[in-house]
Amino acid sequence: MKRALKWTFLGTLAAFFIVPLLAMARFAFQSVPVVLLTPETALQGWSIDPIIAAAREPQMWSASRTSILLAVFTIALTLLLLIPLAVVTEIRAPRLRPLLTALTLLPWVVPPIALVVGVAVTFRTGAPWFLASVFSLVPFYALWAMPFTYRALDAGLQAINARTLYEAARSMGAPLPVIVARIILPNMTASIVAAAALTTALVLGEFAFASLLLKETLPTFMVNFQQSQARAGLALALVVLLLTAVAISLVVRVLRRRGLTVQTTGL
Amino acid sequence: MRLQPDTRTGLLVALPFVAFIGLFLLYPTIAIIYSAFTPGDDFTLAGLGRALSGSYRQGFINSTALAATTALIGGVLGLTLAAVMRTLDRPRWLHSTLDSWSAVASQLGGVPLAFAFIAAIGTQGILTKLFNQIGININDFGVSPTGFWGLVVVYLYFQIPLMFLVSLPALNGLRRTWREAAALMGASGVRYWIRVGIPILTPAALGGMLLLFVNSFAAYATAYVLNPGGALVPLQIRFLLQGNVISGEEDLGYAIVTWVITLLLASLFLLTYLQRRTLRWTNA
Repeated sequence: MKRALKWTFLGTLAAFFIVPLLAMARFAFQSVPVVLLTPETALQGWSIDPIIAAAREPQMWSASRTSILLAVFTIALTLLLLIPLAVVTEIRAPRLRPLLTALTLLPWVVPPIALVVGVAVTFRTGAPWFLASVFSLVPFYALWAMPFTYRALDAGLQAINARTLYEAARSMGAPLPVIVARIILPNMTASIVAAAALTTALVLGEFAFASLLLKETLPTFMVNFQQSQARAGLALALVVLLLTAVAISLVVRVLRRRGLTVQTTGL
Repeated sequence: MRLQPDTRTGLLVALPFVAFIGLFLLYPTIAIIYSAFTPGDDFTLAGLGRALSGSYRQGFINSTALAATTALIGGVLGLTLAAVMRTLDRPRWLHSTLDSWSAVASQLGGVPLAFAFIAAIGTQGILTKLFNQIGININDFGVSPTGFWGLVVVYLYFQIPLMFLVSLPALNGLRRTWREAAALMGASGVRYWIRVGIPILTPAALGGMLLLFVNSFAAYATAYVLNPGGALVPLQIRFLLQGNVISGEEDLGYAIVTWVITLLLASLFLLTYLQRRTLRWTNA
């Protein structure tokens, strides 16, 4: 009875997550209008042409390239800023940890749709050259990823007992840079990967900021493209969603196999 | 001036971070708040008042109702999902699949998600048609991509996975020994949850729901794709920002954003407080 209840719950949720995706797949890959859909026509008119049409779109590739580069730069900036900060705080000034935890939550107070207004007042008038490149999005994306990335890194430091490792290495005479590079960082692979995965998902999905600053990234391209080619647009969105999910789960699985547990937790 | 090596390292790592936050977060934010209080260069509260009147008041009411409803339902379902998953050891693939799916669904949602629901519950949606055949018009219940309950359903798609992710650590803080101790003293499963499990989880669960509230209050992409003209705060901000109205209305935009920041800041203060209460148990 209890088992049945559990599986009913899981099954219902699974249906809730899967049915919209199936509806999307049907709309994208089957050219039979909903009105004419009956059990007899259910298997008719399926083709993969829409995704081929999307793949033929040169703008799709340039938008994807932009989004992937944005993700890479954002990950680099995030790690450069946060790893030294998280490590030094943990081993030298653990009393400051609560302060840092609170500070890194601040980006949540000013979501993209709010900050874009501030950027319009400040950078657009004061330093328009800064917003000229699409890569001006990088610092802002790093900002919104921070609540997740800092927590992922901090969880990693706690899990490996970084302070004990540091003290042990210190007592044997290793200087700080060596301890960080040869002991702490190699032990943090899992949480660094988790931070990178979360950042990637965020960058590949962010729409508000890019759209209002008129930058073409994958999400803004998808919206425009879907308005001109409804079915190809849906096919593209579905493929992007599934590919990202598969990529992240592969990374998680590879790490698990190596005995590293990944926390994809935000908080 | 000679600095201690510790201070030097501290400054070296803290300065770039502080400069980063200052330039890209605080500077634009302070500029908004300053502009909100000084429309037309004089200090006045008129703009802030106008931002909470008429259609903008309705926007705040709609957004708050939507955020609160999805936070509550999504919170309960996400927490239940995490609790159920914890009791299942197999199949093991389910755990890793759900973990990565949640990470993607809670972040990537936005645009593809809106498309998926248009295909499912839009006017030409397959579920709309399916329910029509058994004589139910789901639009009558507000379940359409532009109706309130339709938006709730769509938002739950990213709220449930987010709650699942944030409640896992708190659930892992519940020791198995507590449950065994309760069982030894004759408490049933239900009694254990009422007297031990739920009271310990409450701060974490409320914290998670607040996060969900913040998350859906600020959500833009999904709402924009489903109904760009909807009366929700993020859509109204876009409308004002793109200058679709007479000039001078930018001030109204600053005022609305100031209110949003205030609301989210208050939620976050409450969230940090609740988290501190949670840590009492999970770190013990």
